Amino acid sequence: MSASVLVPSVVSPIVVSLFIPAVFTGLIVGLIGLMAIAYQKNDLSALILTDIVGVGMLILVAAVGTDLAEALILPGLVVELAEILAISEILLSREMRKTGKTAELIPLPVSLDMEIMTTAPAFMAIILIAYGAFLSGFTGGAVAGGGILFYVLSQRVRGVPTDMWEGLAGVSGIAWCLWLVGFLLFFVFPQYWLLALFLAAFGVFIKVAFKAGLIGVMGREEFNKKE
Amino acid sequence: MDIIIMGQQLLGYIPLGDIVLYMAPLNLFMFAGALAFTTLIAISRTETQVEAGFGTLKDKEVKVGKEEFKIRRFLAIICGLATAGAMITGDLFNFTLFVCLIGIVNIGIVAAVKQVDVLDAAFQYGLVAMIATLPLFGGAAMILASTGTISLLEILNIPTTAMMIFGSLLLLLGVAGETGVAPFYATKAEMFRTPGSPFLLIIHLSSLLVIVRLIEILLIINKPF
Repeated sequence: MSASVLVPSVVSPIVVSLFIPAVFTGLIVGLIGLMAIAYQKNDLSALILTDIVGVGMLILVAAVGTDLAEALILPGLVVELAEILAISEILLSREMRKTGKTAELIPLPVSLDMEIMTTAPAFMAIILIAYGAFLSGFTGGAVAGGGILFYVLSQRVRGVPTDMWEGLAGVSGIAWCLWLVGFLLFFVFPQYWLLALFLAAFGVFIKVAFKAGLIGVMGREEFNKKE
Repeated sequence: MDIIIMGQQLLGYIPLGDIVLYMAPLNLFMFAGALAFTTLIAISRTETQVEAGFGTLKDKEVKVGKEEFKIRRFLAIICGLATAGAMITGDLFNFTLFVCLIGIVNIGIVAAVKQVDVLDAAFQYGLVAMIATLPLFGGAAMILASTGTISLLEILNIPTTAMMIFGSLLLLLGVAGETGVAPFYATKAEMFRTPGSPFLLIIHLSSLLVIVRLIEILLIINKPF
C-alpha cells in the first residue's frame, strides 16, 4: 500500500510532503500545551491552556487535507467547545459553592442607550434579514439573527410583548426539525438531494436567525432586571 | 453477505449513506446490553445517602432534588444511547465522536452536585478528557491518512502499515483518557462519591463497554493474527 495509490496524481508533491511536518507540528503544539499545564498551578489557566491542546488536535485532523478531513474538523471543533463549556461550568459552580456567592451567566453591566437605537433599527433589521435570506444556510442565519438581535436591543425601551418571542422560540424548534428531516433525506433517499439541500439550508437559516434573536430577548430581560 | 470480522459472521449492515452500522453477534449483544441498562436507569429512582456524624447522633440525609434528578436522568439516558451507538457503529470517526459525547455527558452528570470535592474531581477529569481529544482525533485522522478510509469494513482488507500502528496507539491513549481508565482512574473514582447512584453507574458501564469495543477496533486495524 504505497502513497501513490491513495493520492491522485493531480495533487502536487509539495502538498503531499506537507503531511509529516503538519503531524509533527500538531504533536509539538500539544506537547507545549501539556508542559504549560504542568508548570502552572491556577485552575483557570489550566482550563485555558487545555484549549491549546485542542488546537493541536485540529492541526492533526487538518493535516490529512482531504474533503473528508474538512468535514471531520467541524465535529472536532464542536466537541472541543462543548467540553470547554462543560468544564468551565464545573469550575464556576465549584467556585460558587466555595465562596457562597452566585454570579449571572452573562453579566451585562453596560447600558446601550444611544439615539441610533431608536431611529435606525427597523431599516437595519430589514436589510440584514433580507440579505440573510438571500445567503441562506448557517451564514445567512447568523446575519439575519444579527438583524433581529439589533432590533430587540434597540426596541427594549418600548417593550416588546413576550408572547411574540415565545412564538419565535416555537418556530425555531420547528425549523430545526426541518433541518433534521433534510439531513435524514440525504442519507435515506439520496436521489432527492435538491429538496434535502433546500430543507436543510432554510431550516438552519430560520433556526439560527431566531436563536440569535432569542439571545437578544434574554439580554433584554437582564437589562430590565437591572433597571 | 460473506464478510467475517474477528471470526464472527457479519449478520448485515444498515447503510445510511456514509454512515454504516454493522451488526456482528458481539456488537449486537453489547448494543442490547447498553440499551437494556439504559432502560433500567430511565425507570429507576435515586438512592439517598446517609452521612453519619462521628461521636454524635446527628446523622444527615443527602438527597437529590427533583430538578437535579430530572437533569441527571436525562444525561444518563443520553450517555446510555451514546454507548449503544458506539457499540455498533462501523465508522472510526463516529466511534471517537460517541466516546467524546460520553465524556462530556459524564462531566454533566456530576456538574450540579453540592460537594466541592466531587466538583474538584470532575474538573480534573474534564481536563484529562479534553487533553485526550488530541490523541483520540489525531489517531483517527492518522488512520484516515494512511488508509484513505474510516470505514472499518474497508480497513479490514487493508494490510497494516507502521503509520496505522502509530495511529491506533494514539487512539488507545485517547480512549483511555476520555473514559478515565488505568492511569487516569483516580479522578473518576472520586466522582462516584456523590449521591444518586443508578445514574452514576452509567459512567462506569459506558467506559467498560467502550474499552471492549476499542479492543475489537484495534484488532481490526492491526490484524495481529
